[in-house]
Amino acid sequence: MARPRLDVLPSKSNAGETVGILVIAAAFIIPALTRSPMVYSVANQILIAVTAAFSVYIMMRMNLLTFAVPTFMAVGGYTAAIAGRSFGITDLIVLTLLAFAVPALFALPLGALVLRLRGVYFVLVTFVLTQITQLVLFETPSLTGGSNGLVGMPAPTLFGITLADNQAVLSVTTALALMGVIVTATVTRIFRQHFAAIEENEVLAQSLGLVVWHYKALGFVIAAGVSGLAGFALVNMLLTAHPSSFAPLSSVNYIAYTIIGGKSSILGPLVGGCVLVWASDLLALQGEYSQGLFGFLIMVVVLLAKDGIVGAGAYWLHRLRPNRAPAMPVPASASFGPGDRT
Amino acid sequence: MDGFIATGLIGISLGAQYALLALGFTLIFGILGVINFAHGGFYVLGGYLAYAAGHYLGISYPLAVLAATFGTAALGYLFELLVLERVVDDQLTTLMLTLGLYLMMSTGILVVFGPQAPDFKFPVSGVLRGGGLYMPIENLIVLGVCLAAIVFVYLLVYRSGLGRALRALAEDRQVAAAQGLRPKLLFPLAFALATGLAGLTGALVTPVLSLAPYLGDPALATSFLIVILGGLGSVGGATAAAFIVGMVEAYSAVYLGGSKGALALFVLVLIMLVVRPSGLFGRESRGA
Repeated sequence: MARPRLDVLPSKSNAGETVGILVIAAAFIIPALTRSPMVYSVANQILIAVTAAFSVYIMMRMNLLTFAVPTFMAVGGYTAAIAGRSFGITDLIVLTLLAFAVPALFALPLGALVLRLRGVYFVLVTFVLTQITQLVLFETPSLTGGSNGLVGMPAPTLFGITLADNQAVLSVTTALALMGVIVTATVTRIFRQHFAAIEENEVLAQSLGLVVWHYKALGFVIAAGVSGLAGFALVNMLLTAHPSSFAPLSSVNYIAYTIIGGKSSILGPLVGGCVLVWASDLLALQGEYSQGLFGFLIMVVVLLAKDGIVGAGAYWLHRLRPNRAPAMPVPASASFGPGDRT
Repeated sequence: MDGFIATGLIGISLGAQYALLALGFTLIFGILGVINFAHGGFYVLGGYLAYAAGHYLGISYPLAVLAATFGTAALGYLFELLVLERVVDDQLTTLMLTLGLYLMMSTGILVVFGPQAPDFKFPVSGVLRGGGLYMPIENLIVLGVCLAAIVFVYLLVYRSGLGRALRALAEDRQVAAAQGLRPKLLFPLAFALATGLAGLTGALVTPVLSLAPYLGDPALATSFLIVILGGLGSVGGATAAAFIVGMVEAYSAVYLGGSKGALALFVLVLIMLVVRPSGLFGRESRGA
């Protein structure tokens, strides 16, 4: 308990956010550098994984663990697919807005309902929700194509240009990821203090007049929108919307990216997504096997380095430069859950 | 009409299985304040241990069930003692640790036993008929053992010194500790009891239903629905809710078909959260 954590209050500087946005924007130059389909495939996977992990990160800022990412990815992805197939909407901007807004609207009533209760209920309900999502997708073939999924969407267009080839798909994924990181950075910046107050001591925050569930629900709605962007990117890359893309098990991957990368900085999900997706690809690990590795890493991080790869890196940077200002001291109670002192 | 009653019987035996599964989950939350994400994993592990004991060691099925129960209990005991104990007060941390354990257990089972469902059958088969009703004998045996185990858990929790100590710790840990109860000794025991119950359920139920590495998720989701319905940490609530869930699943499978029953249950739970967040019996045994 006495081990100091680096930044309980996320640092006031916007360095992490700026770096995150720049790194994702840098993916726009990949098509100019290489034509290798392997690189494109990995880059697409990483960008989608990172975008999905951002929505876990938003909720982790308030000490809430969400399993519902695949659910909202499915809502976003299927929304874009149905809009393209049934309504002939191909404009990338309209599709992006739909893929963000529809999942957000889905999340609103659910968040208003569950987030008034203790955080435990949120975890349990979101877990069950991902299981239910599969059932709903299979049970509504007239809307979602059931077990066949939806295929044959027209390629998205931007200002009359059709975005169909490999380079264009990667650019679309990059644009969606960029929007995801900008939204995430903006929200966690604007509500930095509110989120931190909830993370630190929810009861105290509430007694000081913060309507805690408003901020939780707001974060949940935005996180759902960000997941929707990831879902749209996934459907756009695979050219199909299929239930297997949004399997309940995948929710654990996005949690793993965020926790192992580090949940205290927006760079955490970014680093975690890059490292773990790349490592899974490199080791040619099948889904189930990589999850065993993720499970092990989650346990290691939780027990030994609470702020993950990014937190450990920042800690060692500080140690190596003793002339820097020391890390902010942390009360021992900071590592307890919010509800334990009720 | 016969069909209606027969479905009810299926509902009762499902309910008994769910009750046994959910009791372990709710005990861990009630006493330790830990959300055990590995609970479904222990259920699957119990099934595989019983299968392995019978298949590779040639042990008879009842002994294999016992072996699976004690095997899962031992693993739970060690995990609590070595990993969870140090951080047991931090709900998010323990949640992530049990999630990590669950992922490792699932992968371990997959590596050792492969993705194919093993040939694990109940040793007794046959159907009991009476007055137009059918009841497979294996279901009756499982029902009987489940009910006996539930009674055992109730006696242990409400009629024994250990149970009194555990309930005291659930009620108020500081005061209980000040009275001389030692969480460091009792928590691993409570965790072992709960994981042993999950293992027992798995060893009993998987030969009747099915056994596969990925079954932990549905088992976990069912436990979640039951404990929310019954009230987190409530033993009586979980038992009652398990039978409700069993009944709803049985009748919806027959009369609605497909997986609409699961949807109905989820909606029921959401309504419950609005109307009565503290569960059926309206009392929470823990404020964590």
